[in-house]
Amino acid sequence: MSDTDLKKELQMDEAEKLLPLVLEILPGHAAEGLIDIYEPGSYTAKSLRKLCDKTLNKKNLSIEEQLIVEDIKRQLDGGKLLSRGQEIEGTALEYAVSEQTEAGEKYLYVPIRAIRPQEGGIGLILFDYGDEQ
Amino acid sequence: MKQLLDSDLELVVESNFIYLPLLFDPGIEKEIQSIFRPGKQIEYSAQPDLKTIIKHKGKYFVKALNLHSLFENYEAINSYDYRRLRNDCLLKYQLTGEVNGIFLDETLKIILFQVMPHFIKKNRGLTRKKLIDEEILDLINKKIDIPIIYYKNAETFQDFEPLKEILESLENETPIFKPPGNGILTGRKLRDWFHDAVQAKVLKSEHHRIAKALKVRKQFSQAKPEHIAILLYIAATGAIEIDGFGFTRNNSYKGEYFVYKRTKEYALTDYCARSYLFPECRVAVSTYSPFRPFVMEKYKHPFLLDHKSRQEICMKDFVPSNELLPKISLEL
Repeated sequence: MSDTDLKKELQMDEAEKLLPLVLEILPGHAAEGLIDIYEPGSYTAKSLRKLCDKTLNKKNLSIEEQLIVEDIKRQLDGGKLLSRGQEIEGTALEYAVSEQTEAGEKYLYVPIRAIRPQEGGIGLILFDYGDEQ
Repeated sequence: MKQLLDSDLELVVESNFIYLPLLFDPGIEKEIQSIFRPGKQIEYSAQPDLKTIIKHKGKYFVKALNLHSLFENYEAINSYDYRRLRNDCLLKYQLTGEVNGIFLDETLKIILFQVMPHFIKKNRGLTRKKLIDEEILDLINKKIDIPIIYYKNAETFQDFEPLKEILESLENETPIFKPPGNGILTGRKLRDWFHDAVQAKVLKSEHHRIAKALKVRKQFSQAKPEHIAILLYIAATGAIEIDGFGFTRNNSYKGEYFVYKRTKEYALTDYCARSYLFPECRVAVSTYSPFRPFVMEKYKHPFLLDHKSRQEICMKDFVPSNELLPKISLEL
């Protein structure tokens, strides 16, 4: 990688850190989950797991959101939080992809699935090879 | 008889009897001349008004079939054709059991409006809003390519005037078809009349079905035609699939479905960290208890005993619930 490429990548990294982070925790195989938005700078120093805990412990949730949280907690009873086919470790930026709203506003998106492992046969780890969304 | 009705042969209908052209050979000619000799009394059948042989526009016709008897006993005479005519008739007025049933199908309502929204992406972007039933049908309409015929059928379905008229005729006991009338007509014309008469008979026998259908249609008269088209499509195909979530009719049990979610390709790793790639499959739960998840396709997996389709997934101490809704949502 040339110096110019490296500089560009670093600039992009810096630019990404200035984007809001959208976290979505999906229960099981649900298509939509609980969404939380973190302002730029508010998430960089925290691990993704901490952000998830914060999201799941949010107050003032709507009734629909409360139902989703219940679903997530049911899945997490013996289950795991997975993103991009892996257990979440490290920071949100490691799992984030850049997306934009219909109005063209950019944001970073991290989909996380709360999955309870299959309770049968022998213990195996399951990786989803498809896209999260 | 089918050949007769499919032909252009000229027939005569007289006092509810079909008269066929008389075969002509010297022997018959001789008999005819003797019958129609001036001054000779023509031989009558048991019914005094009915002649065995009649002369029409210089041609002779012989009495063959009682039209009323043929019509009344057609189901026994040609059950295959009767069933075909019956099905055509029920389809014409959208009266099939599937169509009537689908609008009152509570299990389908649960699948469409309570289970499916859990598995399909309903909102664009970051909006997360619970959709009402009409919005879910709008979403299905956007995501599924429904053939145009179902939109046309939806128009027929929502136009309940023809059914209303039929029902009124049935209730007033006014005949819903006219007899063909005496005179000469071709086999094909007689066939058309006959088909109409059989269909009228079918409608008469389906009095209760029509009354029920009319009630349902009045109830859905204000629904969007595209919503009706979706339900008619489901009635005909028994299945839809959106975003890897779908359901298909369980043909073994009336009104029951298999509700499934497609897995994507996935890998399992063993304790030596070796990965094994598995192809996608459909994991389903039947709406007919027990609500145990199973793999629809022929599949092999450590949680399955064999390599065949419809294997229940080994789930240790899992006890299926007696309730349909939460089971499908949670187990898939």
